[in-house]
Amino acid sequence: MLDHAAVQDIVLRALESLNDERAADDRFVVGPQTRLFGADAALDSLDLVSVIVDVEEAVSAAAGRTVMLTDDRAMSQEVSPFTDVAALTAYVLSLPELA
Amino acid sequence: MTAGRRVLRGEFVQLRPLVVADAAVTLGWRQADRARFLNAGARTVEEQAGWIAARPESDHDFVIELTDGRPVGMVSLTAVDPVNRRAEPGRFLIGEETAVQGVPAAVEAMRLLYGLAFDELDLVRVCGIVAAENTRMVKWQKFLGMREEGRLRDHLFLGGRFQDAVCLGLLVADYRTTTLPRMNALIAAARSR
Repeated sequence: MLDHAAVQDIVLRALESLNDERAADDRFVVGPQTRLFGADAALDSLDLVSVIVDVEEAVSAAAGRTVMLTDDRAMSQEVSPFTDVAALTAYVLSLPELA
Repeated sequence: MTAGRRVLRGEFVQLRPLVVADAAVTLGWRQADRARFLNAGARTVEEQAGWIAARPESDHDFVIELTDGRPVGMVSLTAVDPVNRRAEPGRFLIGEETAVQGVPAAVEAMRLLYGLAFDELDLVRVCGIVAAENTRMVKWQKFLGMREEGRLRDHLFLGGRFQDAVCLGLLVADYRTTTLPRMNALIAAARSR
C-alpha cells in the first residue's frame, strides 16, 4: 500500500537521481518544497520527463499495475500535478488505480 | 519559400531558420558539456559558419528561440525522404539551460518540429539514433512515443571511447495517439503558474 510518505519518497528519489546526472555546481535543492515546473522551477521539460518516467515506473512497480501521469486526468486538474513535489505526491495518491 | 525557411511559431518558443550569423552562439552550445553526446563539430566560429552555409536545401535547421527572441537551442529535421516519407530529427540541443527552466522549450520545439514532419511534409515516420549513455534523451524520446528499434554496437566515438547507439523510431499513428497528448500535457503544466 502506497501512503503519502512512500509516494513522496519516490518523487524525491526521482529528483535525486536527476541531480546525480548534473554537474556539482548545477544541482538543485531536493526536498518536499522543491518546485518542479512552471515559474521559479528548477527543471526544464527534459528534466521533468525524466522525473515523470522514474515516478511512473516506481509507482507502477509498487502498485502492481501500470500508472500513467500524463493522461487527460492530469491535464484537467485545476492545479497542475507538476508544479511541485507536494502537488505531484497528492496527484499520485488521488489516482483510482492506487485505491 | 520552403517550410525550413520560415519561422514556426508556438506559445512559448519559435523555431527560426538557422543562419550563418548564428555561428558563434551555436558553436558555444556545441562546445558545452551538455553537447558531449553530439558528434564532434566545428572548432572555430569560422568552421561553424562554413558548416551552416553548407547545409543542404533539404535540411530544416532551426534555432529555438523564446518568444522574446532569445536563442536557447537548436534542432533539425534532416534526411527528408519524400518517396519513403521519412526523415531524421536531430541536432537537438538546449544551450541556455537557465533560460528555459520552467519553460516547456524542449517539448514545444519538438512539437513544432513534429508538426512540420507529420502535418506539413506528410511524413509517416521519423527515426534516428541517440548515444546509449545519453539516458536522459533516450528516456525523453521513449516517453514521447519513440520506440527502440535496435542497437548499434560501438557505433559512436564520443569522449575518447566508443559507445552504442540506440535506434529510435516514431510512426505518425503513434505521434497522434501518444506523442501529441503527452506533449500537450507537458505544455499545459507550464501554464499552471
